[in-house]
Amino acid sequence: MSSRPRRRHGGGREAKRAARRKLPTSTAAYIDRKIPYYELLGDEALELIEHNAETVLEEIGIEFKDFPRALKLFHDAGADIKGERVRFPRGLCRSIIQASAPAEFTQHARNPKRNVVIGGKRTVLVPAYGPPFIRSLDEGRRYATIEDFRNFVKLTYMSPGLHHSGGTVCEPVDVPVNKRHFDMVYSHIKYSDKPFMGSVTAPERAQDTVDMAKIVFGDDFVEQNTVIVSLINANSPMTFDATMLGAATVYAEHNQATMISPFLIAGAMSPVTVAGTVTQILAEALAGMAYVQLVKPGVPVIFGTFAAAVSMQTGAPTFGTPEPSLVMYAAAALARRLGVPFRSGGGLCGSKLPDAQAAYESANTLVTSALAGVNFMLHTAGWLEGGLVMGYEKFIMDADQASMLAVFLAGVDLSENGQAMDALREVGPGSHFLGAKHTLANFETAFYRSPLADSNSFEQWQEEGSLDAAQRANKLWKSTLAAYEAPPLDPAIDEALLAFMDRRKAEFADREY
Amino acid sequence: MNDETIVNEDAEDDEIILAEMPDDELVEQMHDDLYDGMKEEIEEGTNILLARDWSAEKVLNVALVEGMRIVGIDFRDGILFVPEVLLAANAMKGGMAILRPLLAESGVKPIGKMVIGTVKGDIHDIGKNLVGMMLEGAGFEVFDIGINNSVEDFFAALKEHEPDILGMSALLTTTMPYMKVVIDELIAQGMRDDYIVLVGGAPLNEEFGKAVGADAYCRDAAQAAEVAPRMIKEKREAAGNG
Repeated sequence: MSSRPRRRHGGGREAKRAARRKLPTSTAAYIDRKIPYYELLGDEALELIEHNAETVLEEIGIEFKDFPRALKLFHDAGADIKGERVRFPRGLCRSIIQASAPAEFTQHARNPKRNVVIGGKRTVLVPAYGPPFIRSLDEGRRYATIEDFRNFVKLTYMSPGLHHSGGTVCEPVDVPVNKRHFDMVYSHIKYSDKPFMGSVTAPERAQDTVDMAKIVFGDDFVEQNTVIVSLINANSPMTFDATMLGAATVYAEHNQATMISPFLIAGAMSPVTVAGTVTQILAEALAGMAYVQLVKPGVPVIFGTFAAAVSMQTGAPTFGTPEPSLVMYAAAALARRLGVPFRSGGGLCGSKLPDAQAAYESANTLVTSALAGVNFMLHTAGWLEGGLVMGYEKFIMDADQASMLAVFLAGVDLSENGQAMDALREVGPGSHFLGAKHTLANFETAFYRSPLADSNSFEQWQEEGSLDAAQRANKLWKSTLAAYEAPPLDPAIDEALLAFMDRRKAEFADREY
Repeated sequence: MNDETIVNEDAEDDEIILAEMPDDELVEQMHDDLYDGMKEEIEEGTNILLARDWSAEKVLNVALVEGMRIVGIDFRDGILFVPEVLLAANAMKGGMAILRPLLAESGVKPIGKMVIGTVKGDIHDIGKNLVGMMLEGAGFEVFDIGINNSVEDFFAALKEHEPDILGMSALLTTTMPYMKVVIDELIAQGMRDDYIVLVGGAPLNEEFGKAVGADAYCRDAAQAAEVAPRMIKEKREAAGNG
């Protein structure tokens, strides 16, 4: 075979098969939006919510628990402190944030081609965060391990629609609680070259994350650039706790970004109405982001929103329902008015399985997130059962949707080629476009091609085993993992990371808290 | 992707001359050229093989039909796209135009002839056109009688072209029963066994094909191009034995 002469043009079957079967791993580093936002509320309505949020901050205030540093900083900034309750003069938080927080920023990846810009018209898609369980067709539901964690880092790396490696893609419960952050951060660095998130479960774990990032990027680079984005949840309603504030403080001091995210199950952790919930979200986010700006003015901070609705029959959270979509549209508009990047959304669902419920609930929240203008879309892929479960098959389904969102957000091509007048003239009435010159020049990229959906004839689908979406996704995640190749990592950096982890792990005993 | 499949940027140096290739390499090259839809190269290759005293029948079967068989497989498997298959079929047509008179001269039975059209009341013809092109690509002589054909239209075409196969197509559930009207008339006139009847269209299925008395239902153009030559071969073998 190798002695065969070169082709004149195409490479025949071998070349085509190789090209068409190649898994695309690299597309744009992030989405640059070309379509308008869906604006749910007018200025008057948004001003009303902003007014009410200032009233919450002024009258009711926010608790900063077990964290005297926050009380001191807010006191010095002009807030009224009673115990751990902080009440803010109207407009104080907003003016602190607007004085220094950047409207957008770059998070650097160890591969500069994968740097993401967070904010403005950009959207960065990120896998799910936090599930203690995994689910697959093969094993059902069980606790996640560090092996699962590595698998999801690899699958994310291999997914062209996902721009970011995420953080706790699943909770590796086989590793001691006080040491698992080492293995998680290391896995993101080792098995992917996309940007990643840091540990927030204790200030010293945040510091370890920063120290590991410094091994990869260099001390000065980390102090002067953002290489870690981390999730800081408010302990809603209207409370921040020492764990989250401690981690946020470490990251801010090292110039690393945090997303301050009110986490609301409406009806339980916020009022049952959309307007009331959005008001509380804005108040909590303003207070948290103002704190971060007081720690280090100018450090990147993201306005986060995680809103679901409670089932009043059972108390369980529900997802993919209309009310949280309304909340997300309103919160996104409020973040734009404030002038900071916005985090929300994802492929959220309450379903146990990668079934019809999972698909439609997730599609509802993904489309809402895209139209709302989410900048950092955590939980884009893998989410099942209200975030308790990371699903292998669900991940593949969501990654497919993620790739579609990029196409949708790119909007309409109005170039000469996009107008396709040549094609219309060439074909005319009563023929077909399948062989037209314009079609031949464009067909390969003209339409989104799902690696997962089956649109074949009934008979072909039947001959191929009558597989449903989950069964096809099962094949796909296995073939994707089998095809995985690690991105190159400087062996000296790898050794330094391993040595750092060994040393730190030996410094204290394993602990399950 | 290995080195061999990467097209060299310095293509001129690697330009190959078909006429200098030994037979086996030339045939392989023609399979690739068919795959890539290169009509002129297929015509050139066909002429070269004929000049080397290959029979038209051998050129047809070894170089062209085998090449299109590969195209059909990769179309079914989602590797090749519709516009690419149309280009391949067009390249095949170029080779067939050279071979057809020679095949007729030498008394070789053609691969097959087909009359195809949409049935009365149905003007949706993209699927039918694709089937026609795929069968031309498989070496068939295809007589496309267009849309909205009555029993009389079909019978006139059968008389004129004397095909092996009658193909009928419908997109609408309201027009597909007309296929049975045509087939019943064939039976009434004692002509049913003279033709292989293939039916197709989105609302049909295997069961419907059987119910109206067709020989086969073809779910798509690629499958039609597989089924048609096979059924002709079977029919000819049965006739030869009998």
